[in-house]
Amino acid sequence: MLWSRLVVMILVLLLSGSIQAQGSDAVRPAGGWPGLKGDKCIQPTDWMRKNHMEFLKQRREVTVREGVRIRDESLLQCQTCHTSRQAFCDRCHQYVGVHPDCFDCHIYPK
Amino acid sequence: MTMDRRTVLGLGGAVAAGAILLAPGVRLIAAPNKTEASGAQRWAMLIDVNHCTAACTACTDACRTENNVPLFGDPKRDIHWIRKVEVQDEEGRRPPLSLPVLCNHCEHPPCVHVCPTEASFIRKDGIVLVDKHRCIGCRYCMIACPYKARSLVYFQVDVDKASNPRVPVRGKGVVEKCTFCVHRVDDGQQPACVEACQAAGEGAMLFGDLNDPQSEIAQRVRTLKTETIRADLGLKPHVHYQGL
Repeated sequence: MLWSRLVVMILVLLLSGSIQAQGSDAVRPAGGWPGLKGDKCIQPTDWMRKNHMEFLKQRREVTVREGVRIRDESLLQCQTCHTSRQAFCDRCHQYVGVHPDCFDCHIYPK
Repeated sequence: MTMDRRTVLGLGGAVAAGAILLAPGVRLIAAPNKTEASGAQRWAMLIDVNHCTAACTACTDACRTENNVPLFGDPKRDIHWIRKVEVQDEEGRRPPLSLPVLCNHCEHPPCVHVCPTEASFIRKDGIVLVDKHRCIGCRYCMIACPYKARSLVYFQVDVDKASNPRVPVRGKGVVEKCTFCVHRVDDGQQPACVEACQAAGEGAMLFGDLNDPQSEIAQRVRTLKTETIRADLGLKPHVHYQGL
């Protein structure tokens, strides 16, 4: 009985993993993101995919409250490589159904 | 050899003290970026009222352009980071004076003391700011400020092509005020109002570091008769006026 439960659990985990993998492939275009310049981001791409929200929040705190301004890590600098906000931010956020409000106030420079 | 508790504690303390003292100037933790606001500076402004004319609005205009400060067209709701005020002595012996009034970036800011979310705070270099990410719009700070330097954003502010991307617009329902153009100061520039006053206006405004005895503002504050508004409140404001 215990074994059968374990097998079912492993199957479910594998299945959900493959669904997630399919999901991230579905939202990522085959030829890469449109309007992308440059070779690499300020952090490894995989790391940024998972952690950009915490990273941006941490940078925000130290910039606003401590006055630490690192030009390359400023939100304003995203657009030097990711030229289209619709393709870079909005598409993924719409897909996963999150609504970050960074650009309600911050201006994504053209 | 066995060590009793006192010896072990003593050795631990000595090692810790040694780590701090052995290498002066060398930090075990990497120093943060050099642009960090530092207590070595104390930003302040000096306004020479004799050079400020009633007709000139260079400072207020420059502030609106630089910081994306909107005008809603409703006097009760309009946002002012810096405004021109006309003052007249009671007997009317002196001609009326016109002077800009802005956030005084007090050393003991009452707005910071009353803020329930610690959205209002004072940086190490003395600039008082509102962290709009934390502000809940309760407006305690607006009541606490004796200079009426703060405004609540009553309406949604739209971004257009003329907006300055270096300064985000503020969302509806947060409190905002003069930042001494902190983004420019951190970049080594002067606040927009001071630059405009010196270029287009009468050169009445001066900005600088009070902690640097060689700076022009420190010398003028030291040698000339300057005043602050409502000095009796003991808040140590850092917008000084000359000829008031």
